[in-house]
Amino acid sequence: MQVFINNREIEIFRGARVIDAILQYSKHAHNLVKIGQTMVFDRFGNITEPDGELTEGQILFLKKTKTHD
Amino acid sequence: MIRKVFLPLAVIVLIFYLRTAAQPLVTAGPTEIIILHTNDMHSKIDNLSKLAYLADSLRKTHPVVFLVAAGDNFTGNPVVDMVEDKGFPMIDLMNRCGFDVSAIGNHEFDMGQELFNYRMDQATFPFISCNIQVTGGTMRQPKPFFAMNAGKDISIAFLGAIELNDQGIPDTHPSKVTGLKFSDPIKKMKEFAWLKDKYTLLIGLTHLGVETDAILADSMPQLDLIIGGHSHTLIDKPLIRNGVQIVQAGANLKYVGKTTLVVDKGKLIERRDEIIPMSALTGINPQIQTLIEKYNQNEAFSQVVGVAETPIEGYDELGSFMTDAIKKRLKVDFAFQNQGGIRVQNIPQGNITMKDVYQLDPFNNQIVIYNMNLSEIISLICNAFNIEKSIDLQVSGLNYTVTTDSEGKCAGVEIVGYQGKPLNPAKEYTVAVNSYMAASYRFNHRDPGTTASQTTVQVLIDYLSDVKKVNYSGVKRAFLNGEK
Repeated sequence: MQVFINNREIEIFRGARVIDAILQYSKHAHNLVKIGQTMVFDRFGNITEPDGELTEGQILFLKKTKTHD
Repeated sequence: MIRKVFLPLAVIVLIFYLRTAAQPLVTAGPTEIIILHTNDMHSKIDNLSKLAYLADSLRKTHPVVFLVAAGDNFTGNPVVDMVEDKGFPMIDLMNRCGFDVSAIGNHEFDMGQELFNYRMDQATFPFISCNIQVTGGTMRQPKPFFAMNAGKDISIAFLGAIELNDQGIPDTHPSKVTGLKFSDPIKKMKEFAWLKDKYTLLIGLTHLGVETDAILADSMPQLDLIIGGHSHTLIDKPLIRNGVQIVQAGANLKYVGKTTLVVDKGKLIERRDEIIPMSALTGINPQIQTLIEKYNQNEAFSQVVGVAETPIEGYDELGSFMTDAIKKRLKVDFAFQNQGGIRVQNIPQGNITMKDVYQLDPFNNQIVIYNMNLSEIISLICNAFNIEKSIDLQVSGLNYTVTTDSEGKCAGVEIVGYQGKPLNPAKEYTVAVNSYMAASYRFNHRDPGTTASQTTVQVLIDYLSDVKKVNYSGVKRAFLNGEK
């Protein structure tokens, strides 16, 4: 299936979860999501949980959360 | 045995009686209807005592309160999914919280149709879906919708629907949905638009994901609200499409949604939704909390699932054990396991408990299956080797030897079956890997892969339960530079 992360097309196996697509997108981003320093948003601006199930053509964006000053 | 069956049934009957006996209060003027909504709880039971307390508190102060789930109540917590009475703890706790209705999600099928029937029988609330037709399966035909009174002259219909993948079935193992026919959820939902004429409010209780919910809203303005699930989306600001509000409350019961609908003279005059983090709630229902603690201390984790006739030691033996489980349970030609996913150094001789298996494989990775030819399999092995310039993949179904170049990189791979016969370069083989490898390893594959909708740890437990005894003494299938 095909999804988009930060406007980059990701070809991922059928039935993948959000976190699988992020891992394919970037290991660094995957680590940041896992420790909560980056959050995943859908095209409507809603937070998407990393274990969410993907829909064909889904559009997601990664945004860094605020860290310590 | 009789006690085991009748005691839960008696509790269910009592709860059902108490719930139906407690009629909502009728007030004059506008009626405020509160719907507490969850989705994708995935067997996460710890916050259910808080949810029960919240629901009970609201029921004391508000005339009409509904508690609903948008599917995927199961799969995701071994104390619910891996116990002998698979799934029952979740149903028991949902009953006690007073759930009114649940959509059917794709993970409801993970336990198999017969067991799901049994769980539906035990539930004091219905499971609904309008796009599932039982043609030859053992599952009982679910009702498409469920209607409830919400006070004087007000009725609400909840209409269920489930997502379909590009193969036309929900995301579960295809064997779990044999004999079930699935229709396009949006087309099917639209066939029920007439419900809006019969009931005051029509609510989609869907397990479609927010993207599909948006399409549904665009094409079905008869809906007053869509309570969605599947995509694990936290909709914390109004999402309204074509006049239809879409709500969803994340996943794993970290949040609960509270939608308030105000109806006056048969018309919806106000609609608002808030997301409540469960961490912000302090009140708990003590009876339910006690039960949750009992389920969490389930002795099932000490349950012996198999016996190691000899110690299973090192990556070769442990990896061979893990991949054999996948190969044999999923009936694939070959299975691979990366060494990073093997989290103990050995399993001692003797009883293997469920806890041992979870310590060996704690990541909750899914299994992904590819159709691959010989050169693609070589590409997988070679690329995995090059990550650390050492053997990374343990395997079932074949033996392989990596030869390296002067820089220590993979220069070639010789693959033979267990009897020493080479593989057929023209043949396509079914190859299973875990989802971590599928997403992060770079290798050639024309087939994008398909999840088997089973986790590696589930498969290990099922395999041990099948074979009872394992012996991997001296087993080695991955070699380097002519090593024997």
